[in-house]
Parts: sequence; C-alpha cells; structure tokens
Amino acid sequence: MPQLEDIRNDFLRQEVSDFIERPEERAKIIGLIAKASPAMQQIGAALIEGQNKVVDQLTRSALDAGTPALEVMDDGLIAAMAIVGIKFRENFIFVPEVLSCARAMKAGMAHIEPILSASGIEPIAKVVMGTVKGDLHDIGKNLCIMMLRGAGFEVIDLGVDTSPDRFLQAVEEHNAPLMGMSALLTTTMPNMGRTIEAFIDADLRDQVKIMVGGAPVTQDFADEMGADGYGKDAVACVALAKKLVGAAA
Amino acid sequence: MNSRDRVLAALHRQPADRTPVCNPTSVATVELMDLSDSHFPDANRDPERMARLAATSYTELGFDSIMPVFSIIQESSALGCKIQWEQKDNWPTVRMREPIYTEPGDIRIPPDFLLHPDIQCVLNAIRILRKEYGNDVAIIGKTMGPWSLGYHCFGVEPFLLMSLDDEGKTKLCLDRLKEATIQFGLAQIEAGADALTLPDHATGDLVSGEYYARYLRDLHIEFAQRLPIPLILHICGRTVDRMGYIAQTGMAAFHYDSKNDPAESMAIVKDKIALIGNINNPETLFSKGPEEVRSEVFRNLDAGVDLIGPECAIPLQTTIENLKEIPKAVRDWHKEHVH
Repeated sequence: MPQLEDIRNDFLRQEVSDFIERPEERAKIIGLIAKASPAMQQIGAALIEGQNKVVDQLTRSALDAGTPALEVMDDGLIAAMAIVGIKFRENFIFVPEVLSCARAMKAGMAHIEPILSASGIEPIAKVVMGTVKGDLHDIGKNLCIMMLRGAGFEVIDLGVDTSPDRFLQAVEEHNAPLMGMSALLTTTMPNMGRTIEAFIDADLRDQVKIMVGGAPVTQDFADEMGADGYGKDAVACVALAKKLVGAAA
Repeated sequence: MNSRDRVLAALHRQPADRTPVCNPTSVATVELMDLSDSHFPDANRDPERMARLAATSYTELGFDSIMPVFSIIQESSALGCKIQWEQKDNWPTVRMREPIYTEPGDIRIPPDFLLHPDIQCVLNAIRILRKEYGNDVAIIGKTMGPWSLGYHCFGVEPFLLMSLDDEGKTKLCLDRLKEATIQFGLAQIEAGADALTLPDHATGDLVSGEYYARYLRDLHIEFAQRLPIPLILHICGRTVDRMGYIAQTGMAAFHYDSKNDPAESMAIVKDKIALIGNINNPETLFSKGPEEVRSEVFRNLDAGVDLIGPECAIPLQTTIENLKEIPKAVRDWHKEHVH
C-alpha cells in the first residue's frame, strides 16, 4: 500500500499531510496520487492552487507528449479535485477557492473533453441538474456540478427557475439515469415534491434516481418528498451520485 | 415599558422589563397577507400595503418591532438589476445571472437613487408606520451592505472569484457600493426608522472569517459611525468564526442563524454586541409545532440572548400559531425567572 512518502510532489505531499485527516480518505488519496507520474502530480498541484493558466499549459504539454487524455483527467485533474472537495467540506477552504480550482479544472478539461468524446470514452453517468421553479439561486447547485464534473460525471445544467416539465424533458432527451434538484428558499422547496410528482405522472419515476439538496433542505424533507437521496454539500452530492448509479466510491 | 422602549433598551444593552421579540429581516407570511389583505408582490412595491402587512408582526403576532422590508432587493432594483417579482407565495429575487457590473468603474449610484419607486416605497412605508404607531413599537428599516450588493450586481460567482483574484479591485467595488448603503440608511432614519438592519451576506457557507476581517470589518465600523441609530448586522449561516470581529464593529446587534450555538455565540461576543435571532426557520418554525418553537426560545433565553426572534426571513408558509408562540414563550420564561 502506498505511503505519504511515495508522493513525489512536495506540494501535494504537504496538502495530504495537512488537510486529509480521515484514515480511509487519506489512504485512498495517497493511492490515487502516488501512482500518478510527476507530470500529472504537477498538474494536480497547479489545480489545487487555482492556477488555471498553468493547468491549461501543463495539460496541453502532457497531451502533446503523448500522455493519454484519460490519464491526464484521472491522475491529474480528478485526483486533485478530490483533495479540493475534502478541504472544502472540512472548511479549510471556502467557495472562492473552490471556484478558482474549478476554473483551473475547466481549463484542463477544455483540452481533454474533445479527445475523450472523439474516442467514445463514456463518463461515469449523465446527471441532469437544476434549481427548482421560482428559485434563482445557483451557487450551491453550481458547486455540486463542479464537483460532479471533477469526479467524471457528465452534467446537463438546466440553470435556475426550472419547471418540472423542463426536468422531465431533459432526463428523457439525454437518457440520464440521475437527476439533482436544488433550492435555497423555503418557499421553493415544495417544488421538489411537485417535480417528483410530475415524474410519477409521466410514468418516468422508475427510470431516474433523484437527489435533492440546498440550505433549507433536510434528510427528512427529502424522504417526505420521495427523493432517492439528500446531499448536505457538494462532496456529499458526489458520493450520493456515485452510490445511486452504482459507481465505485 | 412599551415595545419600542424595550427593543431600544436591548439594542443599547440596557435593562428592560423583559426580553423583546423582534425579527429584523421579515415576518411576512401568506396567512398574514390574507389577514391584512396585502399580498406579494404588491406588498413589496406599494407603501400602504407594505406598511399594512408589516404591522401585523405587532398587531397580530405580538412582536415588539415592525420591519416593513420583506426582501433584500429594493436597492438592487434601484441600481438597475433585473428583478423577478414573483407571486403571493414566493419572495422577489434579483436575476443574478444577468449582472449589471463587471468592473469597479461600472458602479454608479444614480443621482436619483433615492427617488426610485422601490426606494420610495420603503421610505413611505416607514412614514406611514411612524404616523400610525407613534412611539409604541420599534420600527426597523433595512439597508443592504456592499458585499450583498456585490452579489446582486456582479453575480455571486464573478464577485467571489474577483475577491480571490484581486483584493484591491474588490475593495474598490465595496467602497463604491457602500454609498448606496449609506444613502438609503440615512433616508430611512429621516423617514422615522428607530434602527436599521444591515444584511451583508459574508456567510461562513461561502467565505472564511478571515474574509470578513479583510473586506468588511472596517466598512462595518464606518457604517456604525455614519448611520447614527442602532444597526443590526444580519449574516446567515455559520458565523462563529467571525463573531469576534463583528463584535468589534460598534454595531448594536448581530442577527444570527441557528447554525450557531447560542451559548457559544454569547461567549464569543461577550458584552460587546447584542445578539438577536437563532430560532430555526425551515426545521422548526416551518415544519414543527409550538412545543418545539418554545424549546428553542427557552434555549436562547437561557443563553442570555438579548432579543428573541427567527433566524432570518420567516418562510412564507409558516403558521401564525408557531409565530405567536415566540412572544408567549418569552413571557412564560420571564414568569419562571422573576428575580
């Protein structure tokens, strides 16, 4: 089993040492990063520091040098985003820092996505995400989307103020097995239930797993609405999404 | 002691006959809209309806204060943001996906800012309430802080990214936006407000406590100096990591969220600032019954919290029964704790 000392990049080794406290997560992250090449570790370090231009340049160089796109994504970008997610969950970093890391991730993915798409490599799963009808808040939903993309999901973002019909249409159109709804307002939370009812009425409820979240939403509320799961934050959303589609955590 | 005297005493951390009940954000509910025949969205845009709905917190619920501003969008509307006014059962919201500014140089407080209908609506509602209720009840106004205005005018994500990328530019934005806060605050004082709520959503759910110290502490000190009535800072979410800084601002009170433990919060702010709020909205006031409400009121009173009330704007579907339980529980607690 790889140890902390097996991570050759000084910055990444320090990040794991300082911020990843839970033993099982630590072992998993060390395993992910230690097996990565020095170039991939360098990409990961730049992502965690939010250096989007450096990530852009290093990703392009790695691909030009013949590193497979999947390796750059998994060993460079996704491994680093896993650290970002844990730092955010534990309040070592906050939303501005996560946004900055996500911007760096996006810079790298801009080179990788066309290659993966052309070679027919499938994402973990497609997820339809949206803020419910009547609600224009989207920072929580967007954080979930960043983390989901950072974990290898393909996300269809419906934006804000999303009607039940729009959710239905998107799930059908993209044949998505998973859907997430967000609400910040107590006044719009009931629209989660209304959307789930619309899926039942359309006889589509069994085709999609539905997860919910947002500041006023609780596990009890999610159960009452008939959702398949509740995530209290963006990291929990990714874990829940993986669980619901049966992917390895 | 009447309600106004009670609230003002607590805001000045002076003795009162009992702990006042106060919500410095919003007490509007659908039931209260029906009772006062004053519904959203009109009650957010028409001063008479705004005053009538706001007054129900005193006349129907027995709170010690009246807060006529039910939303956080009046100034942003006057600055030029697009607003989704919504219907009776939902709050109006700024369309933050359509920001009006991208650079500090874009910020311009219009010369007729105070004449905008959505600003005038609040000023006239305060005048109506002052005339109607005299000095019986505390009338609280609301002026948004520059951090919240930044979210509305730049969009949340661009504003937060700017705060990380360019500290100088962010401070310049805040410095320019603060003039809207001050102008609107002074106008409400002139209209008759006894105190002002100043929401500035630098919440622990979004940014660190260090951010508060870096970007907002000095500005909030300035507001406390330039707006010469008690100020009530409102920040949702987790805030214990910044309460120590907030207590240094000279503001009269901090309206705090149920994510913070009352006793821990009181220990942090000590006697430097009054605390208001903490009764949980979604899980208690909205979803449970009077017994659970009462227990949260007692928890705050036991901790020595200075003014009791909901943690933020009350969910619109909250029952009157639950809201009436707050002042009832406060009176009952005081009967049990006669010195």
